Amino acid sequence: MKRIINSFALKFFSAVMFFNQFIIAAGESDYPENYYDKVALFLIFVIIIGFLSLIYFESKIRIVKEKQPSVFWAKVRHLLTKSTPIERENEVLLVDHNYDGIKELDNRIPPWFSGLFYATIIFSVWYMLHYHVLGTGDLQEAEYAQEVKLAEIQRAELMRSGAMINEETVTLLTEPAMLESGKQIFITNCAACHAADGGGLVGPNLTDDYWIHGGGIKNIFKVVKYGVVNKGMIAWQNLLNPKQMQEVSSYVVTLQGTTPANPKNAEGELWKEE
Amino acid sequence: MELERFSYDNRIVRNFAYATLLWGIVGMIVGLLIALQLFIPELNFSIPFLTFGRIRPLHTNAVIFAFVGNAIFMGVYHSLPRLLKTPMFSKLLSNIHFWGWQLIIVSAAITLPLGITTSKEYAELEWPIDIAITLVWVVFGINMIGTMIKRRESHIYVAIWFYIATWVTVAVLHIVNSFEIPVTFLKSYSLYAGVQDALVQWWYGHNAVAFFLTTPYLGLMYYYLPKAANRPVYSYRLSILHFWTLIFIYIWAGPHHLLYSALPDWAQSLGTVFSVMLIAPSWGGMVNGLLTLRGAWDRVRQDPVLKFMVVAVTAYGMATFEGPTLSLKNVNAIAHFTDWVIAHVHVGALGWNGFLTFGILYWLVPKLWKTELYSKKMANVHFWIGFLGIVFYALPMWFSGITQALMWKQFNELGILQYPNFLETVLNIVPMYIIRAFGGALYIAGFVIMVYNLIKTMKQGSFVNEEIAEAPALEKFKDPFRKGTRHRWLEGKPVYFLVVSLIVILIGGIVEFVPTFLVKSNIPTIASVKPYTPLELQGRDIYIREACNSCHSQLVRPFRSETERYGEYSKAGEYVYDHPFLWGSKRSGPDLHRIGGKYPNSWHYLHFENPRQISPGSTMPPYPWLLVNDLNTTTTEAKINALRKIGVPYPEGFEKVANAELVKQAEQIALDLQKNGIPAEPQKEIIALIAYLQRLGTDIKTNTQTASK
Repeated sequence: MKRIINSFALKFFSAVMFFNQFIIAAGESDYPENYYDKVALFLIFVIIIGFLSLIYFESKIRIVKEKQPSVFWAKVRHLLTKSTPIERENEVLLVDHNYDGIKELDNRIPPWFSGLFYATIIFSVWYMLHYHVLGTGDLQEAEYAQEVKLAEIQRAELMRSGAMINEETVTLLTEPAMLESGKQIFITNCAACHAADGGGLVGPNLTDDYWIHGGGIKNIFKVVKYGVVNKGMIAWQNLLNPKQMQEVSSYVVTLQGTTPANPKNAEGELWKEE
Repeated sequence: MELERFSYDNRIVRNFAYATLLWGIVGMIVGLLIALQLFIPELNFSIPFLTFGRIRPLHTNAVIFAFVGNAIFMGVYHSLPRLLKTPMFSKLLSNIHFWGWQLIIVSAAITLPLGITTSKEYAELEWPIDIAITLVWVVFGINMIGTMIKRRESHIYVAIWFYIATWVTVAVLHIVNSFEIPVTFLKSYSLYAGVQDALVQWWYGHNAVAFFLTTPYLGLMYYYLPKAANRPVYSYRLSILHFWTLIFIYIWAGPHHLLYSALPDWAQSLGTVFSVMLIAPSWGGMVNGLLTLRGAWDRVRQDPVLKFMVVAVTAYGMATFEGPTLSLKNVNAIAHFTDWVIAHVHVGALGWNGFLTFGILYWLVPKLWKTELYSKKMANVHFWIGFLGIVFYALPMWFSGITQALMWKQFNELGILQYPNFLETVLNIVPMYIIRAFGGALYIAGFVIMVYNLIKTMKQGSFVNEEIAEAPALEKFKDPFRKGTRHRWLEGKPVYFLVVSLIVILIGGIVEFVPTFLVKSNIPTIASVKPYTPLELQGRDIYIREACNSCHSQLVRPFRSETERYGEYSKAGEYVYDHPFLWGSKRSGPDLHRIGGKYPNSWHYLHFENPRQISPGSTMPPYPWLLVNDLNTTTTEAKINALRKIGVPYPEGFEKVANAELVKQAEQIALDLQKNGIPAEPQKEIIALIAYLQRLGTDIKTNTQTASK
């Protein structure tokens, strides 16, 4: 039940969010350069609503006057309201009630009204039982604990999947399986420029001790992630996920000291791991 | 049967009508001013008396107690004698009531901008004015009950039931919520502390809406709607049902203002369920009002009076559905502290109270001046401008509220707050504030048109001071029990009616208060929480004077989005020395409960001098006078003494050394500021306020890591 309510609430708010995306999305750009068009957009929206409600209001009264309701709906309406028709309202007129000319009818309480009232009472009893007697509902502290726990799980998951890896936090991988995966990524994506054995073609030699942008896992990761666009190195951050970038960077580190078939001449500075 | 001749006093009705028009304009213009200040902070003209915090309560008090209040009295003094076929009990009491009430309004208009406030919403007025309100209210009560006793009508009509419930409940609410211990002539501390104060305040605040903005207006509706439509009331038994259920259930619903707070869970749940159960009783009033118009709908199109009333009753129905919706946990988790609540109250205030008042005035003024309305066309223009004003007000505030909530709660894919800088969420809703101000301006424009129209109407008519009427004397009816129902019998006994109403409205309050006050486990104490130092106490009173709580809450709710943003969520035991509580009801700025230690003293100093030199684009007004004014330390002793009397454990004799302690702490802060290149002097007000802010929430702050930036 709670889940249903929550999912309903979620849907409702995502619908609202749809409208709000104009506002929120625009908010990411620079304030206050372009908010007048939002004002204009909103004004138009409100004017339309206002205009429609005006038409609705005026026309509704006309419909009430002109249109005869069908027999079926009249029956349904009577079932829901049990009201005495105006033509026979003398039957429910309270003859001894006359207050400064105000008279009172004594129409039956509409069944839909009683139904609504009973429904809210039943809901309330269920609500109190659910949260305070049966203990089947989470009160605020439990809810909060749940929320924090869920966030921790998600965080651990993020850690594991590598989404949290960046140039500051990246570490060198040594597990053969991960290095193998890095090798595959290298062959698929990097070999075209750096040669399959890392000896370098268009791109520099990755097997020697000389590095243009610094060696070591962090620098390599950074170059892989952001690229060196003016020299032809692609920024891979939108093409590989952080985990993959970590794997391929780690693989590149293992190429150090291997002997490629056609090594390109050394470029950059001699790099020593500190 | 012999007819007796008597006359109705129309002058008192006219006076209340004048007051309604005058205070309506004033209250709404102040409202427009603060709406503008939310995106043009310069509009306070750097005058302390015009800053947002000080005049927001002026706006709320003016529209509730001055505009709506006078309209209630106008309606009661007009309808009550006519429904009872007798003049008001005493002309003298009527006049004392009128002038006393205006005097209270004027004193509010003077004290609130001066920063003389208790900080409790809709009960901001200080203790001497509270006493004056009580006296005037008693005068009103005597006058009303006296009139009932002198009546020539055997039974009291449903409108009068609502007047009775209003009078008796407002009396109870006002007295219980205003228990405070005076410190000086214009300063007091609430008798209750922290969570208990919050519970009492929102029991009051919610039922001020119920019994000042709702029940008296239902009474007015039951008189003026059938009168204007010339139709019988739809259902007498529905009146009985919805009247008693409404007043019984309403009183319980206050805690829905405190969902996800330090209030005990069971009290929160009662607030929720009683709000949900309120839908039907509230709608009973709407149904009875709208169905009374059966057979008169063709006239609704032509008659501006009925048009206003129909929209009013419909707005009432909408607001009373939205209220319970907002009381559901999962909706409240989103809506609380946002502008959604502002939208909600204004649908009620502008739609229900405003439009019903306008409808009544358009009907009543021509009656009193024995003429026709000057211009029907102008009234129709007013109707549409006012209606659009409400639309332009409510829609942007709904948008704004939901935007705020979504931005506050949004985490990015890494599990970090998407908008860690609160200011970003404020700047985003500025366009909505602009449109809202436009909507408010439209509404005021409509009001001005009405005033013009009514003045013209008065000019063309001739006012009748005393309206002559005739009615037979009341016969003593014997054994009415046998003749009708028990309720019919009760309608013949107004004083019993009053007593039964009183009992009915006391139940909810008692069930919620007594355990919260007496059962220890409801507010678990925390050993590390200590009373404020004298300097912090003085700083807190400056916080109250400037009404920082108008825009800043002091309640971190138990959501991860809040604990990530602000720090550990607030515990009941942290507030035990807070007289009054300062949880606030709206976050135009960030929560401050964990502000202590978050920024250096120098940050606060520069921020108060001009917030925009620290946070570019901030909508907070500057407070330069805090840097210049000397702190008044003559009150320290009295404050310590007063607080000790109501349970704050300051040691005996502490009041004598309090000022020495105060100076010592102030000098430390000043020294720290000087070290950072700020030439601050220890005796200035700002030092006290900084001391208070740096203390806030630190008593249990063990791990500063939890507070993200």
